[in-house]
Amino acid sequence: MNFTYPKTVSEAFSAAFKMFGENYRAANVWRLSVAALAATLAFVFYKLLTEGHATFNTGSDGITWGLLVVVYAFFVLTSTGLTFVASMAMVFGFKEFYPIAKRCIWVAVLTLLAGFAALALELGHPFRMLWAVPLGVQTHSPMFWMGVFYSAYLVFLLLKFQKVSGGDWTSGTSKALGIISFGTVVIAHGMLGGLFGAIAIRPMWFGPLIPVYFLLTAALSGAAFAIMITYLTYGGEQAMPDKVRSLMRGAMPKAFAAVLGIVLVATLSRTGIGLWSNIDGLQVWGHVVHTSWFWIEMALMFGAFAMLLMGGGALFPALMVIAALFIGRYEFVIGGQMVPLFKGTWVPGLIEYAPSMTEWMIVVMSFAIVFAGWAFGERTLNLGASPQD
Amino acid sequence: MAKWGMVIDLEKCVGCQACTVACGMENNRLPGEMWQDVIFYSEGTYPSAQLKWFPRPCQHCEHPSCMAVCPTGATYKTEDGVVLIDWDKCIGCKYCMIACPYGVRFYTDEKPLVAPDMRKVHESHDEHSWNPPWKMPDAREDWKHGVGIQPHDVVSKCTFCYHRISKAPKGTPDLDPQDPKLREFTPACVVTCAPGARFFGDLSNPESVVSRLIGDKRGVRLLDELGNKPQVYYVTGDGGAVPSTRAFNKKS
Repeated sequence: MNFTYPKTVSEAFSAAFKMFGENYRAANVWRLSVAALAATLAFVFYKLLTEGHATFNTGSDGITWGLLVVVYAFFVLTSTGLTFVASMAMVFGFKEFYPIAKRCIWVAVLTLLAGFAALALELGHPFRMLWAVPLGVQTHSPMFWMGVFYSAYLVFLLLKFQKVSGGDWTSGTSKALGIISFGTVVIAHGMLGGLFGAIAIRPMWFGPLIPVYFLLTAALSGAAFAIMITYLTYGGEQAMPDKVRSLMRGAMPKAFAAVLGIVLVATLSRTGIGLWSNIDGLQVWGHVVHTSWFWIEMALMFGAFAMLLMGGGALFPALMVIAALFIGRYEFVIGGQMVPLFKGTWVPGLIEYAPSMTEWMIVVMSFAIVFAGWAFGERTLNLGASPQD
Repeated sequence: MAKWGMVIDLEKCVGCQACTVACGMENNRLPGEMWQDVIFYSEGTYPSAQLKWFPRPCQHCEHPSCMAVCPTGATYKTEDGVVLIDWDKCIGCKYCMIACPYGVRFYTDEKPLVAPDMRKVHESHDEHSWNPPWKMPDAREDWKHGVGIQPHDVVSKCTFCYHRISKAPKGTPDLDPQDPKLREFTPACVVTCAPGARFFGDLSNPESVVSRLIGDKRGVRLLDELGNKPQVYYVTGDGGAVPSTRAFNKKS
């Protein structure tokens, strides 16, 4: 193979863009996301180097965990859900899901990395975390176990991806890796749910069913991403291979609608109980339902559900659900902190918070990681492969 | 081994904030970052509204939820009952701040709570987060116990002036600031309290003043229903009360 190393940065970029050949969609996504990634990274690192973490609008007297924790939860739970979608074929034997399974594993890796990247920027000492958490062995901390299981999940996911990339879909090791990845991520997401659910002083988060709520919303998020990425890959149903098209017209939207219906019930139930209950901390629900964002979220979810029931395409419902889930994660993480704790006794109302430009740029950065990674994988990793090939 | 604890007599507290200032000077706190605070709040509505205040250091709980959630073990409890942070282990995840029911923890690197930003005015050129003109001697700085001017991107909190109390003679039942021999081992907020509302001593010693105050004057703990079992007790008598709820418009 004729290959010459680029000598300048512009040559490197040029070579990177040319590698897509005639796949214009992937090439355009690659260009846009690499440019967004470079711009956001430059902005974020400039701000972090000049202002430190004061560039975020979080504070000891206000919202402690801000938009970056929202982004982290959004992406790692999406990764969880994508693994569920891949596991439909690889663990539970629904073979019609095979044509998108490899792509789902790859995007699960990317969404996990995007979540980790946002979290690393949020942490005060991300490099210290690499030794302090494993050496600390704080078995009573949900965050310790979340770190352990999400790290293990990333390793298993990469090993599984390596196996299927080598054409090994069905050997004992490959199957075992699929099952272990699934099991690990179920526990990992449970730890993330526990991380919030164990905090009794914040009633909006507290409760043994929060991991279950995360399980449902993760599955929904993963399904929505799987649909969006599949449409992005092929450009539309007409261009899809038969098996992919039949999945996108059959089992996938049905499963998606079913999970969406359950999540709608769970969301309405949480909202209703939150509004009715009188315990300190739940007053935030009164604020939540008076924001336009809540009604946009509801309109998107109910609209998507109606569109799926009417049998339209799954792409727009998927996009609507992704937007709704992002709003939902924001409501959850930020809303849980808005009622002042004891220290805020003098605070007359809820704690106010609006993310800074740096925080929003990290949101763009995380999405750019996913899309750039998808385009790269589409070009180089044969993401459409399945055992029938 | 002593189990250090504090008793605050709310009948005596006049809300002068001298404890807050003394703590800030002793521990080099940034303005606004008050390890020891006196919270002012109102109860009731016109014509029976009341202005109240409530002194609130770290509660140094027997079962601290901040320690339970810490993923690295940076937050720990010493044998003599003090909850501290090892700044060399803290990764700045702020989970402890989320889990603490009393809101007594602070993150170093965030927008200044009070303008101007003293970290810019007294900028540090080493690993410290700022370089105030007043500070404790370097020999007392102890990052393993969260004492001194903290580094960047860690969480900080009241240490019960660990650099003082850890040097107290063994077996001392009470660190009484009236006793010249014990004054230098007594927490700064207790030393400075003009009305003498603060008492510091060994909760495990039934003869200590703090133990007797808790027993005789029915000492109560803040948000006791949560099970954290603070080692800071409040005695209320007729003239004071521990705020039981947050001052927020609740549904009737």
